[in-house]
Amino acid sequence: MDLFGSYALLLAFLCGVYAFGAGIAAIITRKPLLIKSARNAGMAVCVLVWLGFGSLAYLLFSDNFSMAYVVEHSNRTLPTFLKFTAIWSGQEGSLLLWSFLLSIYVFSALFTYRRKHPELMPYVGVVLAGVQVFFLTLNNFIATPFQVLGAAGPAGALQFVARADGSGLNPLLQYYEMAIHPPIMYSGLTGFTIPFAFGLAALLGRYPGEKWIHLTRSWTMIAWGFLGAGILLGAHWAYAVLGWGGYWSWDPVENASLMPWLTGTAFLHSVIMQEKRGMMKVWNIWLVFITFLLTIFGTFLTRSGVVSSVHAFAQSSIGHWFLGFIVLAVAVCLVSFGRNRDYLRSNNQLDSLVSRESSFLFNNLILLVACVAVLSGTLFPVFSEWVRGTKISVGAPFFNKVNLPIGLFLLFLTGVGPLLAWRKTSLASLRRNFGGPLLIGIVAGVSGMALGLRNFYVTTCLILSVFVTLTILLEFYRGARVISARSGSNLLSSVAQLTLRNTRRYGGYVVHIGIVLIFIGISGTAFNQDKQMDMPPGAQMQIGPYHLTNQTMDSTNEINYSTDKATIAVDRDGRQVIMLYPERRFYPSNQESGTMVAIYSTLKEDLYVVYAGRSPDTQQPVIHAYLNPLVKWIWLGGAVVVLGTLLALVPNRQPVLELRAVTEAAPAAVSTAPARIPMRRYDGPS
Amino acid sequence: MNMSKVRRLAPVLALAAAVTFSTGLVQGQSSDRAKQLGGKLICMCNCGQILTACNHVGCTRSTAMLKELDQRVAANDSDDLVLQSFVQEYGEQVLSEPPTHGFNSLAWAIPGIAFAMGLGLVIVVIRHWRHPAVPAPASGPPISAELLERGRQQADRETDD
Repeated sequence: MDLFGSYALLLAFLCGVYAFGAGIAAIITRKPLLIKSARNAGMAVCVLVWLGFGSLAYLLFSDNFSMAYVVEHSNRTLPTFLKFTAIWSGQEGSLLLWSFLLSIYVFSALFTYRRKHPELMPYVGVVLAGVQVFFLTLNNFIATPFQVLGAAGPAGALQFVARADGSGLNPLLQYYEMAIHPPIMYSGLTGFTIPFAFGLAALLGRYPGEKWIHLTRSWTMIAWGFLGAGILLGAHWAYAVLGWGGYWSWDPVENASLMPWLTGTAFLHSVIMQEKRGMMKVWNIWLVFITFLLTIFGTFLTRSGVVSSVHAFAQSSIGHWFLGFIVLAVAVCLVSFGRNRDYLRSNNQLDSLVSRESSFLFNNLILLVACVAVLSGTLFPVFSEWVRGTKISVGAPFFNKVNLPIGLFLLFLTGVGPLLAWRKTSLASLRRNFGGPLLIGIVAGVSGMALGLRNFYVTTCLILSVFVTLTILLEFYRGARVISARSGSNLLSSVAQLTLRNTRRYGGYVVHIGIVLIFIGISGTAFNQDKQMDMPPGAQMQIGPYHLTNQTMDSTNEINYSTDKATIAVDRDGRQVIMLYPERRFYPSNQESGTMVAIYSTLKEDLYVVYAGRSPDTQQPVIHAYLNPLVKWIWLGGAVVVLGTLLALVPNRQPVLELRAVTEAAPAAVSTAPARIPMRRYDGPS
Repeated sequence: MNMSKVRRLAPVLALAAAVTFSTGLVQGQSSDRAKQLGGKLICMCNCGQILTACNHVGCTRSTAMLKELDQRVAANDSDDLVLQSFVQEYGEQVLSEPPTHGFNSLAWAIPGIAFAMGLGLVIVVIRHWRHPAVPAPASGPPISAELLERGRQQADRETDD
């Protein structure tokens, strides 16, 4: 099976090279047979990558300890579902996961459009093949997961050897969320290759109009949704596993995933300008280029050892390959733009400063500034060392200070932007749409201050959250009320009808509500409390309203690990609310240990309990308890964002009212009742 | 490995666990001031975490650093003196934020510069878009009904979302 996997990847590489070369030849010669051949080769690459990925999975599931990768990342007692996560736990396997997910996107795109857009698709195929060939080069020649273990035999000849057992999986990865977090995150990162390929192809082929934007809308939203979900799952994993009481530490690897999400968000908004008004063509093409480049750059950061991170893979020379690819990709983008920039000529015209167009410009500005702030903070230590010869740290306090005002301004735009009209918004409209929500938001802020809220950022966040939520709810209400008045259906049903008629718009609003929930959750950080103390059995601790009692300490041996576990009774107002079992595990296969945090989560706060080890002085167990307000809102907000994204991907349903109006027109003519006004599609006020 | 082997190895595993857990020694409760100062320092175990947040398994530095911090706080040294003593011992890298003076203040300036440049660009773009080059008046017949309808459709499309 090791040979099968190796050959499958090698064949995939060869097919990829053919798809790339034949694709270029097909573009030049315009021979239909060559176009078809290049496309089929592109699809064959995908099937072969799947076979390679499948064989690595098989090797892990069958405990084949003659393979170096299996020995390093698995062992016999590892539970089956964790063997699945072992596929991507190392450098080589994670790169194969990248190729695997990319191949699913590529196959889907090539297959979906195999009989459509004959002018565009050959270019798309070439770009996709180029990206695939790069990753297959890594999979085959730089970081292959199919290395067998060998040793010098008695006569000096190389002999294959098989170990009795493996070293096991990194304890930090032995958590159920790890079975979905990396694939979802990578699905987001690889997914941006599709809009990049279509954008570059449209530029190279001078494909007319905004067609490429329409074609890539769903692909972009899928990639964006996956990336956002992946980021939140990663944050949840960090919260539940790492045991430091937080979910986001501005680690370089976390930042690497956030940057393409920020530019991807900017792209999702600014393409609307191109679709509706034919504006910002140059900007959009560069946004999609930058987003793709940032996905590769993030991978470079994770794997090159340029920045230190607990998440990073072992330092290796692979970073040079990524750097080379980034330079090449930038050169291709620059040359393509330089040669075809006249194709991107836009008919830009702005009627008023207070308009939807302006709000999109500011939205893009703020998202890009956030990206620059994260990027510069991440790379500044390297830059400083290069210039001054001494390294400095840029930690979480810096990122929090810089990004908090940016985030709040974005939250403000989230409320304002969608309700501004295209071209021009009148003062009366501004007053009607924003007056009430802003007033109620301010009242909420003042009430919060009266109740003791003294933190400026939290108060601002409260005001903006109320303001944004109300503007969105009002938008739903106004639209639904019109439909309800015309159709006679109840308000809830009218909301559903309204949403399904323009899923992109109202799905976007749902996403915005999710973002508000996430902001509310983040604002809770300002009120975090923690307490750490020696807690032998019988000892008690009070944190916030909770009273903790360590009832027992137990040591047990499980199949894959041994564990030292505390049993903590949690009381509130004299009543027991839950038993928590924080533990530390020891994994004998790799001689490493890890924490398992115990969390009691409510909408108001999380009680987060860590068994931190034993005190050096007393040898007694030490319990570190945190009281983290509003954290659950972040995960709820994430779920709402995913829901909104899914909603936005649903095709619009045509309004039935219009059809009914047409069919009723004839009877209406002979009816004695007052004639009904012909009904037009209504998607809410613009 | 089957269950019987696991059972046979249980005492060995328990011993190994005890050894491991005993190496995961932790510092007791720090004062509020030590916590606040710890937030301005980075753990030097190369994890990049804030000192008070670093509790990753196998960290060899945070316990000693936290103890040192507690001692300095207990000695009633000023905040600056405490931070400076850490800088002298570990270098500038121990500070969680870049200094606000000298070359490294550039880290603080970059987001502001990016915002100012972006804002300038947006203003230029808006000015340009608000006053586009006026095309010469077309000479010819008045607007046809077909053209007018096309314009209406365009307006309808543009204001659809």
